[in-house]
Amino acid sequence: MTFDIDFLQRILATIFKAMPLTLLLAFLSCIGASLVGFALETLRRTGRWQGYLLRFVIDALRSTPILVQIYFLYFVLPYYGVVLPGPVIGVLAMSLYYASYLAEVFKAGIDSVPRGQTEAAMAVGLSPLDVTLRVVAPQMLRNIAAPMGNYFVSILKSTPYLAVIGVAEMMGTTLEIASDTFRYAEPMILLGIVFLVLCSIIAWLVRRLEARLMANTRR
Amino acid sequence: MDQTAISINKLNKWYGDFHVLKDIDLQVATGEQVVICGPSGSGKSTLIRCVNRLEAYQDGHIEVMGQEETNLPRLRRQVGMVFQQFNLFPHLTVLRNCTLAMTRALRMDQAEAEETALRMLERVRIREQALKFPTQLSGGQQQRVAIARALCMSPKAMLFDEPTSALDPEMIKEVLDVMADLAQDGMTMICVTHEMGFARQVADRIVFMDAGQVVEVAPPDSFFANPQNLRTRTFLEQIL
Amino acid sequence: MSFSEIFLGILEGLDVTLTVTAFGLLFAIPFALVAGVAQQFLTGWKRAPVTAIIEFWRSTPILVLMFMFYYTLPVAGVYLNATTVAAMTLGLHIGAYGSQSVRAALQALDRGQVEAGLAIGLTRWQVLLTIELPQMAVAMLPTFVNQFIQLVKGTALVALITMTDMTARAKELSQLTFDPPAIYGALMLAYFLLLYPATVLGRHLERVVGRRSGRLNGGRAGDV
Repeated sequence: MTFDIDFLQRILATIFKAMPLTLLLAFLSCIGASLVGFALETLRRTGRWQGYLLRFVIDALRSTPILVQIYFLYFVLPYYGVVLPGPVIGVLAMSLYYASYLAEVFKAGIDSVPRGQTEAAMAVGLSPLDVTLRVVAPQMLRNIAAPMGNYFVSILKSTPYLAVIGVAEMMGTTLEIASDTFRYAEPMILLGIVFLVLCSIIAWLVRRLEARLMANTRR
Repeated sequence: MDQTAISINKLNKWYGDFHVLKDIDLQVATGEQVVICGPSGSGKSTLIRCVNRLEAYQDGHIEVMGQEETNLPRLRRQVGMVFQQFNLFPHLTVLRNCTLAMTRALRMDQAEAEETALRMLERVRIREQALKFPTQLSGGQQQRVAIARALCMSPKAMLFDEPTSALDPEMIKEVLDVMADLAQDGMTMICVTHEMGFARQVADRIVFMDAGQVVEVAPPDSFFANPQNLRTRTFLEQIL
Repeated sequence: MSFSEIFLGILEGLDVTLTVTAFGLLFAIPFALVAGVAQQFLTGWKRAPVTAIIEFWRSTPILVLMFMFYYTLPVAGVYLNATTVAAMTLGLHIGAYGSQSVRAALQALDRGQVEAGLAIGLTRWQVLLTIELPQMAVAMLPTFVNQFIQLVKGTALVALITMTDMTARAKELSQLTFDPPAIYGALMLAYFLLLYPATVLGRHLERVVGRRSGRLNGGRAGDV
């Protein structure tokens, strides 16, 4: 491996150029996964059969690799005439896959709020919506901030898979340089460092957020 | 005078800026039973935890059987401890709880260790539960097992850290009876406890601690009948 | 090609999937234990390198790690076959997650257990081996199953470094016949049959152990 500053600069420039799209895809997937995950868990609680069905859906999503789910959506949807751009497929796949994990986080979060809290909130005459939003959710948030944050980091770390369906995120563009120049070592190492830094920053932000939530709602 | 079993000299300990133990001096003779009492936060648990060095101290000396042992496992084999929360190992049977340190630390063989363990379990009257797991026992039974576990190492002295505070009232007596038996047999003991009946009956001397200091040391009769210090008096009025 | 032909064709890659999983475990379990215990026991500057190693393996995307080692090691003169590179990178990635569960389990254990062990004269090392680790083993079972699932799912990536696992077989079959629903349906089915029992087992264990020792991990995932 020769030390070639121009080459390194070129790689870094490419990685940074693809960073906004990568972060955007990850961000949208976080929102998607949270919404779908919350919906899955809320629906699961509405009745016995819904419970079994959605438990199965959640477990099935967790039992197959995300890479396979990406391939599935990418190749099977067009077969039925649904042609979506790669980035959309990517966000869809990551949202569904991580929804199955976030559903579990929401489950633990909802269960972690003592039943007495709901009862007390209802007893003072709050509406069901207020019970959820003003009493349960804030207490739940404190408990789930850390695991949710971990999954958000995981989502970011899953964006490289989108390279396999041609999305120009950081992995995809870096691989392009690599295959153009037949040099894989430097691009992969630099990409690894960039991810390491990005993930550390997000993990740090999550920890700070968690600390603030703890401080605000300490009992 | 008997040989001194435990000798605490000018002991000082701080948690950060907080001075928990202040110039503690206390000698316990071989075969003597000392009860330490005092309000919560007075440092009495910390003091006995310094004796077997579960707590480090910054200043002063503690000698056990005439020497300041620096090899901590060896020191701790000489001094048994019974905890408020029993701290039995939930993944091991009662018997294995007792034999663990004998086979691991003393390198005793299994059969010999089991024989000793059963003898000690007999001594605390719980031999028939030897093959059960701790969670299957009542609190009083668990604490008696904890005493047997400590006795298995043939300690020169025993430390009791509020051994009955976590027990339901109806189980306190069975534990205190076992402790009284031990005292009868001449075991050197330091007990941190609020059980004043036990103190009166068993202790040779009672130590009253407050705010990290030894305030008063006296035999039970005079301690209860004629406490010298105002703080001791106030404390006794509150609990008796 | 019928669905069953496709399915059987995909299963031809099962041996690679299982081989990488098995070798991956050989990396993951020791690394998780050693790194987790080391991070918990060491203090001050001595902990920093351990934390750095764990973070490197945990915070870098597994695909990047795999490519990095697959393409970089030969440049450095180290020639490992694809199976070894895959097992190592996957194993250490999952193991780094596992180390955090090991550490959490150590922290969750009642402090009194260590003190009681020390008080009867065991050394710190003996306390770890005879008191802490055995009790953790039970508490860690659900985590172990969950990380195992992550590892198996991670093996799908070896298709990208020229190995013929189940996922690669699916890609090969799609060259032979144009039937994406059957091919990728069969691939999903294969992983599902392989892992659904483990998922259900993991959930069951979490419930049983969670009731006994409180929640530790909530099935924290990697990124596969």
